[in-house]
Amino acid sequence: MKIPGRKKLIPPVIIQTLKTHPVIIVLITLFMMFSSLYPERFLTPLNFSTILKQFVTLTLFALGPSIVVVTGSLDLSYVGIWMLGGILVWLLMPILGMFSILVIPLLGLATGFLIGVIQVKAKIPSFILTLSLLVTYSGLTATLSGGYPRPVRGYEFITARLIRYLPTAFLWSIPIIIAAVFIIKRTRIGTYLYAIGSNEEGARLAGINVDKYKILAFTLSGLFTGIGSIILFQHLGGATPVELNLNNLVWPLVAIVLGGTPLIGGSGGPQRTILGALTFTVFYRGLLLSLLHPQAIQLLVGLLLIVSIVVGTRGLKGVTIT
Amino acid sequence: MRGEKMMVRLLISQEWLRRNMTTVGSIVAAIAIIAGFQVINPFFLRYQGIITLVYAMSYFLIAACGLTFVIMMGSFDFSVVSLLKLAALICVLYIDKLGLLVIPLALLICVGFGFINGLLFAKFKVPSFMATLGVSVVVEGIALYLSKGFLHIMYDETFRALAITFIAGLPSIFYWAMGVWIICTFIAICMPFGRRTYAVGGNPIGAGLSGINVERHRICVFMLSSFFAGLAGVLYMAQLGGGSMLIGKDMTIPLFASVVAGGTALTGGVGGPHRTLLGVIIITWIQAGMLMLAIGRDIQMVTFGLIALGMSIVTIDRRRIKIIK
Repeated sequence: MKIPGRKKLIPPVIIQTLKTHPVIIVLITLFMMFSSLYPERFLTPLNFSTILKQFVTLTLFALGPSIVVVTGSLDLSYVGIWMLGGILVWLLMPILGMFSILVIPLLGLATGFLIGVIQVKAKIPSFILTLSLLVTYSGLTATLSGGYPRPVRGYEFITARLIRYLPTAFLWSIPIIIAAVFIIKRTRIGTYLYAIGSNEEGARLAGINVDKYKILAFTLSGLFTGIGSIILFQHLGGATPVELNLNNLVWPLVAIVLGGTPLIGGSGGPQRTILGALTFTVFYRGLLLSLLHPQAIQLLVGLLLIVSIVVGTRGLKGVTIT
Repeated sequence: MRGEKMMVRLLISQEWLRRNMTTVGSIVAAIAIIAGFQVINPFFLRYQGIITLVYAMSYFLIAACGLTFVIMMGSFDFSVVSLLKLAALICVLYIDKLGLLVIPLALLICVGFGFINGLLFAKFKVPSFMATLGVSVVVEGIALYLSKGFLHIMYDETFRALAITFIAGLPSIFYWAMGVWIICTFIAICMPFGRRTYAVGGNPIGAGLSGINVERHRICVFMLSSFFAGLAGVLYMAQLGGGSMLIGKDMTIPLFASVVAGGTALTGGVGGPHRTLLGVIIITWIQAGMLMLAIGRDIQMVTFGLIALGMSIVTIDRRRIKIIK
């Protein structure tokens, strides 16, 4: 029997969305908290523009790896591709001219393919493989650049301002995000990657060429990082650092984990990473504006990472971990 | 008849060589490195050169012994370098107030963080790499907060004497490192704790079924690793006589490479601290030799990245594992 006159307070669509993406609640809570605590600093167009800028940086770093995390592996090479790519652009500029920017996606593609082949054939845990490669790349960057950041001029048109307060890099990142989400949600590749992530042995028995699709996942990750790095390269000032920074490595991982992609694989993906990146950016900007000690912020970021991993992996029983 | 016997002996020796390939390879590599650097730079094996080599390898060996237990168990501890830094900074910051009591304080704090690592890994089922990465970000934050980013100098002579007293021509930190190495080898080979670590690394489910409390054991191993990281930090501070946030910078990959170069595979269950000595000698002597030849840190990073990559490919036993993430 239906009770007449009773209206549903919240449409079921929204409840369903909140159930699959609980991070939205965190995002709204953080936003409300910061805007009620210090509206004069937080609710300004300049701050929103900065949030968008930081969001772009995080998302473009985290998009590629989140494809790999779906399969249960980990890809940390993104910072390396970005750093080495920037220096290669500087080196190749006198020879190739404007086309030298294309070296970044090529480097990303080659790195991703290499990682995939080594991981599948030599069976090294992916995190240590990509970490070693990252260190190698950062060493190469420092060697090639001679130890100084090398700014490159001539690509300002990539991030030239079109609309006030709206970073052009954000506009550029939209098609990249859509492409990544499309691949993972609407194509066969995405379905196979989820299958490999949730049960690799089962996927193999079901006739999926697991090795091929794992290599493909790493290659896609490298390619997306490479394309994103073109935009990041100009967005972050036309030069890349020559020194490896732990924050550059950790923040995209926080975005991935916070978005709700468990590191064990089989669920999540780029669509959640976007939410995670937005939440992390709001969290970080809010803390930065709060007059807290800057060192305390790093502490809180680490705590956020730990808490989000613990919450993200809860209830996953019967999983063997290493 | 005789030919057959020869064949059998040859087969046995080939089998022996194949089984001990990592050990033999490490010894050959170590000798080749020493010979190579000696040829290029005749000061390498003079007394002064040896002192440099000993200083470079001692604190490294202590930290690597702890990490070896974790890798033997099939996990990874990213926070070793951060804990080393924190222990060193605690020593230099509070030596005036507490005196030599800072050493147990620093070690206790490190063991506490090791407990958190183990708890996250064993109880909350967070992959060990991510758990320790998160903890290491927190530890770096604490170290930055305490040190304010400045360089601090250690003025306490009794504290410094822990590492730089010369006994029989060698600094005392060398004897500390050798002591830790012998204790670790003893634990791994002769004590139930070490045998359980091998068992958990080889097959966690089987170890659990045969009556080992796997969760508690994992927590203990992470605490052990953190304890040695802290000890390495304390002695490193005594050796250096001062430091800032830059202590242990870019040390993670060489540390990992030295464990793997000794022959402890990432899959767990094989290797051990007794092998790590060789790996540490290979890695730190390459580092020191390159420094003596004035080769910069950037090329060193490339070298160690490639060594870590190559050695993990060589040491992993691919017959046993089906799925690797």
